[in-house]
Amino acid sequence: MLRYILKRLLIMVITLWIIITLTFILMVSIPGSPFNSERSSNETIQANLESHYNLDEPYHIQYLLYLKSIVTFDFGPSIKKPDQSVNELLGRGFPISFELGIVTIIVAVISGIILGIIAALRHNGFIDYMAMGIAVLGISIPNFILATLLIQQLAVNFDIFPVATWKSPAHMVLPTLALATGPMAIIARLTRSTMLEVLTQDYIKMARAKGLSPWKIIIKHALRNALMPVVTIMGTLLAGILTGTFVIEQIFAIPGMGKYFVESINQRDYPVIMGTTVFYSAFLIIMLFLVDIAYGILDPRIKVNKQGGE
Amino acid sequence: MKKFLVLLFTVFLVAVLAACTANENAGEEEPADDAEAAEENGETGESDEASGEKILRLNNGVEPTSFNPSIGFDQVSWDPLNNLMEGLTRLDKESKAGPGAAADWEISEDGLTYTFNLREDANWSNGDPVTAEDFVYAWKLMLDPETGSQAAFLAYFIKGAEAFNSGEGSADDVAVTAVDEKTLEVVLEAPTGFFLDLLTNPAFFPVNHKVAEENPDWHAEAESFVANGPFKLESWEHDSEMMFAKNEEYWDADAVKLDKVHFEMVNDTNTQYQMFESGELDTASIPPELSDQLIDGDNVFIGNYGGLEFYRFNLTEEPFQNKKIRQAFSHAINRADIAEFVVKNGVEPAYGFVSPGFITPSGEDFRDVNGDLTTFDAEKAKQLLEEGMEEEGYDELPPIVLSYNTSDSNKAVAEAIQNMFIENLGVEVSLENQEWGVFAEAQQNLELQFSRSSFINDYNDPVNFLESFITDSYMNRTGWSNAEYDELIAKGKSETDEEKRWEYLLEAEKLLAEEMIAIPIRYYNTVVLEADGVSGILRHPVGYFDLKYADVE
Repeated sequence: MLRYILKRLLIMVITLWIIITLTFILMVSIPGSPFNSERSSNETIQANLESHYNLDEPYHIQYLLYLKSIVTFDFGPSIKKPDQSVNELLGRGFPISFELGIVTIIVAVISGIILGIIAALRHNGFIDYMAMGIAVLGISIPNFILATLLIQQLAVNFDIFPVATWKSPAHMVLPTLALATGPMAIIARLTRSTMLEVLTQDYIKMARAKGLSPWKIIIKHALRNALMPVVTIMGTLLAGILTGTFVIEQIFAIPGMGKYFVESINQRDYPVIMGTTVFYSAFLIIMLFLVDIAYGILDPRIKVNKQGGE
Repeated sequence: MKKFLVLLFTVFLVAVLAACTANENAGEEEPADDAEAAEENGETGESDEASGEKILRLNNGVEPTSFNPSIGFDQVSWDPLNNLMEGLTRLDKESKAGPGAAADWEISEDGLTYTFNLREDANWSNGDPVTAEDFVYAWKLMLDPETGSQAAFLAYFIKGAEAFNSGEGSADDVAVTAVDEKTLEVVLEAPTGFFLDLLTNPAFFPVNHKVAEENPDWHAEAESFVANGPFKLESWEHDSEMMFAKNEEYWDADAVKLDKVHFEMVNDTNTQYQMFESGELDTASIPPELSDQLIDGDNVFIGNYGGLEFYRFNLTEEPFQNKKIRQAFSHAINRADIAEFVVKNGVEPAYGFVSPGFITPSGEDFRDVNGDLTTFDAEKAKQLLEEGMEEEGYDELPPIVLSYNTSDSNKAVAEAIQNMFIENLGVEVSLENQEWGVFAEAQQNLELQFSRSSFINDYNDPVNFLESFITDSYMNRTGWSNAEYDELIAKGKSETDEEKRWEYLLEAEKLLAEEMIAIPIRYYNTVVLEADGVSGILRHPVGYFDLKYADVE
């Protein structure tokens, strides 16, 4: 097990380095500079700005500066928000995105699994169609449409919730609903299809034959195996949702970190691009690693510590 | 069909359930959030009334770039900063430069030396007096090449400033001196008729040098921020909200009616409008798709905003080296239709370059004096095109690509123009859109043939825009060079006789229109929804908004 973990850690570091290098190459190869603007300017000012942010250095020096900033976990100040360091931006935005993300995941997973199980048990019945109907709607309605609809109905027309911003638990309800619907639908469909498969397996018949109660069979025997695909997508889902979502955060004016992924690229804010990329990649890689570990715990047939046993 | 109905019913049921359960939660958490506020469109919240404080609730859109006066070179920084600080002069209710931190000033005969007498009662929010040294410190910091200030060019009118900023001179040669604690002397490079107006710009705000020397990041947090304007920074939760409170140390604090100003940072037009609708904001902008419905309402403020949307020709690429072809393209555009049906929101079509609102020494509007410099005239357009093509020996025009940076509104305008060229000129141009950074670089390098631009004035003088087109200017971006024009602008900057100086600028604009190196499309404006009871917010055509006299009921 330990050897496996060490090997994985090494691969993680190499992966991260490749991502950083590719990001740097892509970053410097897109045209434009952080200081392009319609506002008045002149060559002197542009030159001063470039030297202030070390952008007049040759690329290999800039690359080394970036690697240094990553190793020391200090990405320096943002170019577009010079009073704040990238660490501050991420340190402030991430907890908020994380908070929203965790609540969303909990809502999505619980409601998704319940919907999926119910649909599978009432296969091809009325409830199955209802549950899957909701799932199809959840997948096909983009979350920003849902967000606008929720604001219009629940915040403006009925005034139950505040429209936007991030100040109290009441402010969390609408963005959570908007954000959770999509993942919930995906999880519901996954759970349903694997549940259907598992329920026809021999060991389920065996459990039934032993006379176990139906609920015990479902929870202990069927669900455990049916959850494997759900666990598989959890890695990417967690990394995606926990690090913030640009659109939902923009609509609800949530000061999370989702916006930095998009804005930093549009604004050519190089330190922020690097910071967000490294942060997200590291987060994603760790999540995938945890998922692999979780496989072993959930399904004894998968042994992570044996050669080729992944 | 039956299944579908069942499905619909289910969805409805889930929605209702969600709404009901959610309702209970909300009730517990926010008892103050009553339904009345939403019905009475945009009324000031009850809680504000209860505490007896006058709070104006605004939206800043996003986090300010920086509250360091020489760094935050944009509206989201300078709009709030304009209310926290005050320069030597401040724009008054008529949008003219009036006394600010300086009570009065003397200007020498030759128009080069300005001596400002600071107010004895001008203080910082921490009680320190506002001194001449604070201005010297701030301006030299802005001009220091190490600072990397984007606003530094605004100070190039001061003697020695440009040399210092470009790394050739030294800070000591910048002609700004503190004669004594309350007297500041500034020597200019050349007489500059709009210098007092320029000083209202936030780039020229003072910096409390005692505070700044101790803590260079004094402007980054509310705790360390020192203000000398009508308000002080009470709290600042980055990326989320700011609270300003009345600054009792301000020399004119009696004129300030508001107790507090609260800024949200909501960067979505629809969301901020809905917050206004539900009474969470006192002002809002109009979402483009609701423009037709809302623009004629009683609660809408519409004012000039010194700026122009235009299209640049690239004179180094065929066929735009030819003046008549350029003129033909300009005459083929129906600007009134673009303003009314495409851009909407009450904007004015542009038949000249300098936007309305610049007042000549004799009290007339620059725009009215020069009048319309181009027209919509399809016949004339066709004729000019024919003549131009003959001059160049074209049987047909080379292919033309019209470029714009990606945005919904730019696309709508570009498509309308494309259509007008086909209809009125018989010329088919192809459209191309690019991401902003890519577009801006290509335009700067003269790689685009015919491209969109916009200009927002930094200070209240036509030379600000007109200067863009002098030979080899960084802002030129057309490949145009004209000695006569360069001469007119040089005189338009340094002539001491104000009447004559404006004459030169009027001439310059006429020449620009005659050569038609860029096609004006429409002027910018300011459109704001204001809740009932909000009054006194000054929104200047050029400059940043002022809440000094603002009030809420």
